[in-house]
Amino acid sequence: MTSSAIFWALLLIPAAGSGICLLLRTPRAVLLLVCAGVLGSAVLAFCAAARALACGGLVSPGEWFFLDALSAYHLMIMMAVFSLSSLYTLSYFRREAQTGEFTPRLARRFGALWFGALAAMTLVLISNNLGIMWVGIEATTLVTAFLICLHRSPASLEAMWKYIIICSVGVAFAFMGTLLVGASTARQLPAADALLWTKLYAASGALNPVLLKAGFLFLLVGYGTKAGLAPMHSWLPDAHSQAPSPVSALFSGFLLNAALYCILRYVPLVERATNYSGWSLRLLALFGAVSILTAAAFIYFQRDVKRLLAYSSVEHIGIVALGMGLGGAGALGALFHMLNHSLAKTLAFFSAGRLGQMYGTHDMDRISGALRAAPVWGKGLLLSLLCLIGVAPFAIFMSELQIVSAAAAGGAWWTMGLFLFGVGVVFVGALKHAVSMSWGAPAEGVKEERADALEAVLAFAPMAALLALGLWMPAFLRDAIVQAAAIVGGRP
Amino acid sequence: MSGWIDVVMVALILTNLVVLGSSRLNTCIRVIALQGVALGTLPLMAGPSVLPLRMIALTAGTMGLKGVVFPWLLLRAMRQAEVRREVEPYVGYIWSVVVGLVSLGVSVWLGARLPLPGPVHPTLAVPVALFMIFVGLFVIISRRTALSQILGYIILENGIYAFAMVILGEVPVLVELGVLLDAFVAVFVMGIAIYHISREFDHVDADQLDTLKG
Amino acid sequence: MSAIQLIHPLLALLLAPLMLGVIVRTKSFFAGRTGPPLLQLYADLFKLLRKGSVYSRTTSWIFRAGPVVGLAAAMAALALTPFGGQRAVVNFPCDLIALAYLLGLMRFFTILAALDTGSAFEGMGASREAQFSALAEPALLLGLAAVARLTGCLSVGELSLSEMLARVTPAAWQHAGAALGLVAAALLVVFLAENARIPVDDPNTHLELTMIHEVMVLDHSGPDFAYILYGAALKMWILGAVLIGVVAPVRTGDAALDLGAALGGMFALAVLVGVIESVMARLRLLRVPQMLVGATVLSGLALVLLLR
Repeated sequence: MTSSAIFWALLLIPAAGSGICLLLRTPRAVLLLVCAGVLGSAVLAFCAAARALACGGLVSPGEWFFLDALSAYHLMIMMAVFSLSSLYTLSYFRREAQTGEFTPRLARRFGALWFGALAAMTLVLISNNLGIMWVGIEATTLVTAFLICLHRSPASLEAMWKYIIICSVGVAFAFMGTLLVGASTARQLPAADALLWTKLYAASGALNPVLLKAGFLFLLVGYGTKAGLAPMHSWLPDAHSQAPSPVSALFSGFLLNAALYCILRYVPLVERATNYSGWSLRLLALFGAVSILTAAAFIYFQRDVKRLLAYSSVEHIGIVALGMGLGGAGALGALFHMLNHSLAKTLAFFSAGRLGQMYGTHDMDRISGALRAAPVWGKGLLLSLLCLIGVAPFAIFMSELQIVSAAAAGGAWWTMGLFLFGVGVVFVGALKHAVSMSWGAPAEGVKEERADALEAVLAFAPMAALLALGLWMPAFLRDAIVQAAAIVGGRP
Repeated sequence: MSGWIDVVMVALILTNLVVLGSSRLNTCIRVIALQGVALGTLPLMAGPSVLPLRMIALTAGTMGLKGVVFPWLLLRAMRQAEVRREVEPYVGYIWSVVVGLVSLGVSVWLGARLPLPGPVHPTLAVPVALFMIFVGLFVIISRRTALSQILGYIILENGIYAFAMVILGEVPVLVELGVLLDAFVAVFVMGIAIYHISREFDHVDADQLDTLKG
Repeated sequence: MSAIQLIHPLLALLLAPLMLGVIVRTKSFFAGRTGPPLLQLYADLFKLLRKGSVYSRTTSWIFRAGPVVGLAAAMAALALTPFGGQRAVVNFPCDLIALAYLLGLMRFFTILAALDTGSAFEGMGASREAQFSALAEPALLLGLAAVARLTGCLSVGELSLSEMLARVTPAAWQHAGAALGLVAAALLVVFLAENARIPVDDPNTHLELTMIHEVMVLDHSGPDFAYILYGAALKMWILGAVLIGVVAPVRTGDAALDLGAALGGMFALAVLVGVIESVMARLRLLRVPQMLVGATVLSGLALVLLLR
């Protein structure tokens, strides 16, 4: 297939799926279509990514679509998260359909929005035009807003409103930044090319550094709002906790990464224009450190398990930002961390969602004895929480170790100290909750359910992957990460 | 021609100050419609005397969207949500106008220091754009009702659009359309959100949406 | 000082009460009535001059001095006002400050006389008047500063009202129309505020809650009251002359034509005020400061526009 055909297919399959979902009759049909469509897109995306990694980049003729190592890597993560979440919806919404909460109308809306989110996120990743990338991010905000309040309730509406306003304002700031970056070409590029990333990258020596820096500041604050970097993260705990669990898994698993990806697109431009002074990397590291400390402060006092996981997302995005800010080996660790976090967080939300359905609440004080009441998902929750707080030999421990050693090697002692402190506080807080939820007598009124084969696979596949990645890094993955890090560093 | 540009700039500044100082939502919505129309004429002012068709279409589209569609969406949301009176905002009206004037001064100062490529045709354009961005942010932060927050968002988008006109001169049509479409869908979505909030809560006071804390 | 410069004060002294008559007539026309004759105020003044005065025992010399000082200040300010592109009878650098403060002196003595009666009623009116004129002053001065900037009269030697208004020409309007428009709007608001017209104050009302200017002069009678009425008419003429100088600058060079056009402008202004009074209601007292701040904003904006 030609490259432009691939790109258009990646966009049109979800769009078509979205349209077809509106015509289906039963929830089950919608969910099956969701799985089929997402898995089909995933296969196509993996092929495209593999080709991009092998050939050093896939470009469409007009240069508006583009897949290099960085976007290919993110595309693979996105498809993994989407596929797992789509399969999970079969199990999660089946229970709701039985109680009549998941009506055909709700199902149609869910399917259409789910595919819409997939299309928007794909657009973000494959577009070379920074303006279109921005349009994609704004589209994800608008589409996912209604996914949050799928079930209308005062709390979910409040979460949705905060999400829309804060993220729209943030994304508007990001647009300012995009404009400033476009202006920094100082009319040296033809107007049609001023927003194309490949052209900007090639000409980055000639860009006006002052405008570029001003633009980067706006972009960091703007896209950082969407990515959940503190102090712009206030929408995150509400949105992630009020949304249905598959949607939360999607948010934490990939949407935050997508926003961070947008920031990472601009880092090499600023670096090259300012002669590798490290200005943008330091800013990124600063925001990362603030996020880690903010999350650490709030995690200890959480009562709602999904809010706990949301703050954990803030912390991990902070870790990724910190790692990228350190550069070199730290960037490699950060990119690896993105993958690990996505897998672990997805599993955590899956478990929290199903346990919430069984126990009827997300309040951690009332969830206990999960290992006995729900063997599969209880283990899933415990292991994913352990993984998230950085217990060896899971993959997150390895990526965090890599970042710490990069900090030590670079002599960034304060950074290392703050990082270890934040991670330590989170370790204690989350472990306390994990232990209290897993052991003890099961609470009354819990519906004990036997997990079926699909659920078992969904619970154990990510766990196995995280364990495997912690012990051994496959060659193609290492290649992808090294190439992606080189792009961000500006020295391919 | 420069006389007309001045009039447009003054109209933009005055509309922002009116929104800051006015308590009636109806007035604010109509004034923002006027702002949208004035904004739509900006590309015509700065451009060449013979206009390409796409620029005319874009101008008409922008004016139609910001001057007609947005106010209609907001008025419809107001009607459906049965919003009654405007609660006193966090910052009083006279102080809001004073803050607006101070931010105008700051924008003029900032506009002089920004190293933009080439001379900017209406010299007030960059300060006015920055001013509109400040005002939009301020309205979002200082007003209580959710509808006012949407108004602030629209002003913010207008300011960024004005900035885009000044800085980029020629934006590719597709990007421009994408941006307009996003703005439209955003306002549409927010209008629907307001409707649901009013149904669920009996009010649209964003200040009272505070059950999720910590 | 040429003979032509003397024409304006004489015209003003003669025609100021007529302006008030035009306003009242316009309002009557809108209300569907015939209304009092145009020269009614002259008849009132004549009647009042022949009457005796009654002075309350609680008042002092200030009460008697108030109207006299007010009229004197108004006439002095009249001497400073340019009209129809001509220089004023007395003009010197920075005379616009003198003009503003002469009008302020008039207002000050009216307020003092009101406070002197010892009545809470007048005191209330006095405090409101003081507040509103304090807020109107920045609008006036900023507006005049904008005009000074526009006409280039910035050095101390040149900053004279006569000089400034002489240089405002139709060409200036073409060049900086937006700024001058803003100044004109601000000056109109100041005109309405200082002369206690609607929407700031209703000259016809005698309700306690709503009077501002009327209540201050409630205790004056006879010739004192005549001086106050005449002084108020002169003040209206003065502010109107400044406004017309900015808004309708007819500078053909022929003195008769310019003066005639300016006179026409004054009466058009009177009709405009009558129209405004007929179509608007008085603003709530809480809103008046907001309107005055709005006028200040407009003047400030004009200044910012002209400063860059």
